[in-house]
Amino acid sequence: MHSSIKPYSYLALRLPSETLKIVQLVPNAVISIGKYGTFQANHLLGRPYNLTYEIVDDIKSQQHGGLRVVPASELHAEVLADGTATPTVEGEEDRPETGEEYEVVGEDGEVIMRTNRQTIDDPTSQKMTFEEIEALKKEGSGAGKDLIAKLLSSHSAIDQKTAFSLAKYTLRKTRKYARRFTVLPLDIPLFTEWLLAEKEPMRSLDLRDELIGLIGSWANIRCSASEPQVLEDGISKVGGGRWLVVDETGGLIVAAMAERLGILYPPEEDDSDSDSESEEPENPAPTTTAAATGNSASTTATQEAINDDVDMTAPEPAEAPSASAPASAPAPSRQPHHHHHHHPVPQSATRNTLTLLHANAQPNLSLLKYFLFDASTPSPSHPLHDHLKMLSWLQLLSPEDDNGYTEPERVPDDIIKTWKSGKRGTYFRKRRRWERIRAVVDETRAGGFDGLIVASVMNPVTILQHTLPLLRGAAQVVVYSPTVEPLTELADCFSTARRTAFVTMQAEATMDDQSISKDDFPINPTLLLAPSIQTSRVREYQVLPGRTHPLMTSRGNSEGYVFTGTRVLPAEGKVEARGKNKRRKLVGERSSETPA
Amino acid sequence: MATTDPPLSFLDPGDTAQAQSIAILHLKRDLLMPTRLQEQDELNEGYDEGKVTNTRFGSFPHSTLIGQSWGSQIRASAVDTGSRGRRPKNDKKRKRDEDENTDSNAPTPKTAVAASTGFVHLLPPTPETWTSSLPHRTQVVYTPDYSYILHRLRVRPGTVLIEAGAGSGSFTHASARAVYDGLPGDEVKAEGASSKKKQKKGKIYSYEFHEQRVGKLKTELYEHGLDGLVEITHRDVCNEGFMVRKTESSDLNAKKNDEPKAEAIFLDLPAPWLALRHLTRNSMSSKFLDAAAGSSNPQSPAPGGDLPPPAPTSAPEGDLSFHSPLNPKATIRICTFSPCMEQVQRTISTMRQLGWVEIEMVEVQHKRLEVRRERVGLHEEGLRGVTAMPASVDEAVSRLREVEGRFRSFHGKNTGADGSEDASGANATESKEGTPASTPATYVSKQQRQQSIRDSLADRKVFKEGRLVHRTEPEIRTHTSYLVFALLPREWTAEDEARCQKKWPIKEPRQPAKNKDQKARSGKDIEVDAGGRDVTQETQAANGQPISRRQMKKLERAKAKNAEREKEKAAESEQAATEPTVEDAGAAKADAAGKNVEEPESMVE
Repeated sequence: MHSSIKPYSYLALRLPSETLKIVQLVPNAVISIGKYGTFQANHLLGRPYNLTYEIVDDIKSQQHGGLRVVPASELHAEVLADGTATPTVEGEEDRPETGEEYEVVGEDGEVIMRTNRQTIDDPTSQKMTFEEIEALKKEGSGAGKDLIAKLLSSHSAIDQKTAFSLAKYTLRKTRKYARRFTVLPLDIPLFTEWLLAEKEPMRSLDLRDELIGLIGSWANIRCSASEPQVLEDGISKVGGGRWLVVDETGGLIVAAMAERLGILYPPEEDDSDSDSESEEPENPAPTTTAAATGNSASTTATQEAINDDVDMTAPEPAEAPSASAPASAPAPSRQPHHHHHHHPVPQSATRNTLTLLHANAQPNLSLLKYFLFDASTPSPSHPLHDHLKMLSWLQLLSPEDDNGYTEPERVPDDIIKTWKSGKRGTYFRKRRRWERIRAVVDETRAGGFDGLIVASVMNPVTILQHTLPLLRGAAQVVVYSPTVEPLTELADCFSTARRTAFVTMQAEATMDDQSISKDDFPINPTLLLAPSIQTSRVREYQVLPGRTHPLMTSRGNSEGYVFTGTRVLPAEGKVEARGKNKRRKLVGERSSETPA
Repeated sequence: MATTDPPLSFLDPGDTAQAQSIAILHLKRDLLMPTRLQEQDELNEGYDEGKVTNTRFGSFPHSTLIGQSWGSQIRASAVDTGSRGRRPKNDKKRKRDEDENTDSNAPTPKTAVAASTGFVHLLPPTPETWTSSLPHRTQVVYTPDYSYILHRLRVRPGTVLIEAGAGSGSFTHASARAVYDGLPGDEVKAEGASSKKKQKKGKIYSYEFHEQRVGKLKTELYEHGLDGLVEITHRDVCNEGFMVRKTESSDLNAKKNDEPKAEAIFLDLPAPWLALRHLTRNSMSSKFLDAAAGSSNPQSPAPGGDLPPPAPTSAPEGDLSFHSPLNPKATIRICTFSPCMEQVQRTISTMRQLGWVEIEMVEVQHKRLEVRRERVGLHEEGLRGVTAMPASVDEAVSRLREVEGRFRSFHGKNTGADGSEDASGANATESKEGTPASTPATYVSKQQRQQSIRDSLADRKVFKEGRLVHRTEPEIRTHTSYLVFALLPREWTAEDEARCQKKWPIKEPRQPAKNKDQKARSGKDIEVDAGGRDVTQETQAANGQPISRRQMKKLERAKAKNAEREKEKAAESEQAATEPTVEDAGAAKADAAGKNVEEPESMVE
């Protein structure tokens, strides 16, 4: 995965200004990174990620000279040079003649640090004018390095600068004029960084990497190698790596969890091994990927129709392909794109699946386009095509009220034969759609999920009311919220006091559930074990020789909280905790010995 | 999987708890007890019920646990723990041994009888529950740290990870879950050794220099069914490197098989900078490595910095005997975990010299919150876990009035016996009629008041009362360690570049006129683009054109692009102005595809 840059993939460029820019690498296109210059996509295709390039095009001769890889030694040059002559290095021999500028002096007269006491705050100390800089930029050779050197040399007070401020000045000028960029693979950590820094973070509920990490870990997301176990009734299933997801971040949670399940990235052909040795898979790759990502409306639509049609004529569910591990899925590039027979039915995978519950008629998964997945016209070669299942809350709670769940009229075969192909196609497409929806809805309603992950603006109490019963025993529940209040309310539904009251009432009620009011107990508090809320934030440091400290500023906004708990199966009948004081039980609170 | 192998309880626990699998008995929050479920009591502890786990909430014979659904609430059993101890132990054991020899080698355990109180929840093990219940041998890498580290290291199903300093094994378990995509070896059985290469499976190569810890971890990993996924080696990696086996043979192919070919590295070592020398793509001269490892702040030696200088690897540049433990075709990501700043500084300095880039240092600050209902008010007087102070100014004033009235009546100022007010403290909303004139004649003692509060408690729903508040839990880990992240890009040679240039040829250079246009346009975009935002959209905005014309412009461009492709062969100079940027091409493509989902730009608008 991400071993080399593939055509039509989305990737991120980190510019000298530290901003991220996401581009799609369309072969032969020209990529513009604004003032830093332009280059051709073909300069990057097939190359590895994480290299830093310099645009070496010579503007004077109007030639696109291409890109030059900047080696690590050059990237670290300043710091490495600095490290040997760091200002904190003690000793007389380092002291230059202008010793009077050293201000912080130790007891024995030893110079410790140079200060800015002598510097004069003068905005005119840079002697180069704007016009001169612009002219130099036009000449621009050497990827801005000449310009930066010129700028430094024409600064009148450069010798007054302390080593630190000189480094800062150089860095500032480098950020402005260097024509470098780093190519980064678009994976979840980078995507999150981009969403937070460049997009509207509230759209993705301010999710940060540390919180996504916590969500994934506590949800116990893992690749499952075995099929779900079918219970005695023959319908209900348990496990198999099936997770229930409520994602209102535009698809970020789905993408992050899919990454952990190994179903986010389309399989790459011979990722690591034969890539460099064999040269033959040149042509098929770009064409099919183009088709897969939907190059033109008409073809995609007809593909879908054909696909549906073909699937219908072969009624047995395509279990076999979906059962194979995602990593070993057939390489899509080998197949001409109009042969979709072998592709599994959409949303039909039996394990390692994410089942998305959405509040609108269509799910909002717009962010998944960066991972080459389009929820409305999914490409069959994408693992999410059959591993991501989607249904609305209406379909979950009251499927009879949903048109998609009602069976379309069945027509005898001999009548269908008389139809025109267009009408026949529509008929089969409708049947296929209904079968798909019915399968997903029935499977979801049967429950047995391995976990629940929620990142939603809806009240989490109402979500858990309906989803908690769908989870298997020991399933993990993880609810993310940008603010803490919805989660404290949720945790309060499972408070020890409430649970104790519930258990007592349940024992007294004897088969009469009516006396236990939904108002007092919105969710059965005995279904969730050890509810807890946590938050995490990383603090970033600058580590430079003699200049190590936390960053001066960072992003604020929502803190972000994660609620976790474990779905449990309460024992039948009344269960009394041990070590409980009779009198205190009468008081009905603070049952501290209750296993929680 | 052979029947003797313990089940893969961490990764695939199944529906019910099986014998031999690890189970976590959840006693209460932060009190978890791992136990290995056994049908037979191998230690012969002498319980009538067979193997029994005793907790502070009761005794749990394993016969009551095996076969139960995971997540079940399990009642404690009435187990005779007392008389067992009184019996002479040796006698008992000998007797048992005899029994086993003579009988069918399996004494049928007594059926457990449920106790009246006490229960636990039966949970399958997860890296999280294991981390909070494992036997501590070293400082543990906790969930907030390892979840972030694995996320940042891009550890996913199929990743090969090197972990040095396995310690207590918490990170080992978490990373095993992350890389798991089937056990290595499974595919060999299925498809033969020839296809092994293609079926790359995730794996952990774990190293630990403390022999006893290695032994314990090996046993644990075997019991947890993870021994196929984690290969643990007793090794001081700082001196001896990361090759899996130290093959002495000169056979290069044999050596090749010993290369872990890792893509991700986690170093939890006292001196990670010493291990970095073994994590290079090519052999480096030992002189350079020593210089690299020894450099940086000589006046601030880090803990562990006193390690003896490593033996020179004696590998001259370009030596064929050098084998890199890294995957040559992948970006390598590393994380080092060091509690001290001095360690961080030396590590980063060494990383810079060895060519690691994107070096970043962070610390994870994590806290858990406590949610409770804060009940304040005089009507709570005498109860537990509440604040029996006035909840409001009104309440304070009425209480003061009451006290004042009592004071007056005590001093005989009270004239009449017509005081009708109920002075029960439970009545928080005392009326203002409580003037001195109508002070209560019937004095209610503190005891009486509190008794009436307690009596009324049964009818109250205290779990809904009070204000819902949250606060940080009493103890927080303010510092665990500093995390240094860095990466090593794939090596890119001139030959690689030549191959790629052949595969993706660059089109002819652009015409001068056109480039000027382009320059002029991008000149306008300077601010916009430095902000990293969408160029096309911003340009339109700058031109004062309404955004709604976007679609039209896009279509135009798409047409122009097609036209341009045809014309390009003829090398016209006219088409220059319509040269598509990537956004344009992408937008045109999306447009043509007729997607009815929103564009990403419009999504954020």
